[in-house]
Amino acid sequence: MEENSAQSARPGAALVYRHNRITRLAHWLSALALMILFMSGLQIFNAHPRLYWGSTSEPDKAFFAIGAAQDDGDARGFVELYGRRIDTTGFLGVQPGVFGPAARAFPSWLTVPGYYSLAAARRWHFFFGWLLALTGALYVMYNLAVGHLRKFLVTPRDLRKAPAMIAYYLHLRKNSPQEGEYNPLQKIAYTAVFALLAPLILLSGMAMSPQLDVAVHWLPAAFGGRQSARAIHFILAFGFLGFALGHVFMVLTQGFFNNMRSMTTGWYREKPAAPARPVEARRAEPAASKESEPDADLES
Amino acid sequence: MPTWNPRLSRRRLLLGAGASLMLSGCEKFFDAVSQNKHVQSLLESAEGASRRAQRLLTRRGKLAQEFSPADISPAFRANGNPPPLTMDYSADAQNRWTKWRLEVSGLVEQPARFSLQELQAMPARTQITRHDCVEGWSVIGKWKGVRLEEILHRVKPTAQARYVVFRCMDSDGDGNLYYESIDLVDAVHPQTILAYELNDRPLPIDNGAPLRLRVETQLGYKHAKYIRALEFVADLKSIGQGKGGYWEDQGYEWYAGI
Repeated sequence: MEENSAQSARPGAALVYRHNRITRLAHWLSALALMILFMSGLQIFNAHPRLYWGSTSEPDKAFFAIGAAQDDGDARGFVELYGRRIDTTGFLGVQPGVFGPAARAFPSWLTVPGYYSLAAARRWHFFFGWLLALTGALYVMYNLAVGHLRKFLVTPRDLRKAPAMIAYYLHLRKNSPQEGEYNPLQKIAYTAVFALLAPLILLSGMAMSPQLDVAVHWLPAAFGGRQSARAIHFILAFGFLGFALGHVFMVLTQGFFNNMRSMTTGWYREKPAAPARPVEARRAEPAASKESEPDADLES
Repeated sequence: MPTWNPRLSRRRLLLGAGASLMLSGCEKFFDAVSQNKHVQSLLESAEGASRRAQRLLTRRGKLAQEFSPADISPAFRANGNPPPLTMDYSADAQNRWTKWRLEVSGLVEQPARFSLQELQAMPARTQITRHDCVEGWSVIGKWKGVRLEEILHRVKPTAQARYVVFRCMDSDGDGNLYYESIDLVDAVHPQTILAYELNDRPLPIDNGAPLRLRVETQLGYKHAKYIRALEFVADLKSIGQGKGGYWEDQGYEWYAGI
């Protein structure tokens, strides 16, 4: 949003081709698939809105539950975690419905489809699960082939520079410590998603499958049992939500149109460093130090 | 470069309002497309992909995890239709199923009828397995029964037979009888049994007495309870609403391996 024409027209602000077709396609397919997987997953969770550790779901052993209870004739929605209960009437557990308050774990505006249908939610979930897995495989294989994967895989050096990057984002530091195409925080986020979240959410999902239990015994056991796998699958989904929210926040604050253009057409306008300060003077010096090179805020 | 411009906050507020409008629009959109025939058949294509991929990964005859007696759940949750309410069913339950017969027909060389005593006299298999409901919950129970493959040996399905259909005695509120079907791959799986005992006791009425299916490669709704007859068929189109089972007719996957 902040990107304004004056800044774009500034000399030295050049368009660079940042995202190739495979990346752009994979990005938008993944965005769509993740959204539908999350929302249909909440609907699937609604069929049994309780989580357990272990193999089985003994009724009194749930560590997490979303539910509805009667309180003086009023239906109250609640969320319970290890016995601690908070009232969430109107949002979780109980929502206003056409015929008065209705018991429903996650509200219909958060689920796919909005009406209650476990069957339809499963159809959406598995179709987009396949789509995401195939998209991810295409993306990873392509980037492995062209050697781009290491551009956003985190290194110990990035970890050391993470505090400096946070300081930069918090305006406590003038210059970005970024060296490559991706800054240290981006690398940490992307590595966590690609190397941890994505494989674990896929495997924990597969660990719930009776047929795969036959094929690979160790899979549910590796998560501590089928119900543990279900709980972990649910928790990891919120890891993805956190990533998506952070990602969208960065896109909104770091040049919305520029980032949207680069992920749609591939072309990104490199911004001169520190747009709030006089930049022309610095731009004129070709021998500027590495740290004052145009900082591409590459949250995309 | 992060810069906070207060003048932008109104724009952001509008953006937020737009987003929430979009959300309710989204809900209507997904509801509409969920009921669109073309979308449904596209989404259903994932079922075949899951079945093929999962079966490709599974070596024939490999077993689902079996548990130790200590893992057995205190109570085996019963779900689905209430027990059959017919006079015949309750009378026969009183008589310990002396009148009940398992009728096996369809594409078989030797159609047959088996009494419960005859089934119990056949080689039995006992297994402590986990039951996974499509809703998400799991219970562990100990089952004893006759392997379905044993029945296949006796009735000899013809070369055209591809599926076993389970005809059940329970029905929903509208009088639709429960039925299910599996293909011959799952029918001959070593853990696919017609169970007549749960946790060392005669199969309780709530859990499907006198006979129920255990097909450990699939989710709970495939495990037909209150079985009356088996029918071997070449395809499922002419049975029920043609999708191969009571829940399948209501949109659930026929392949419930995940």
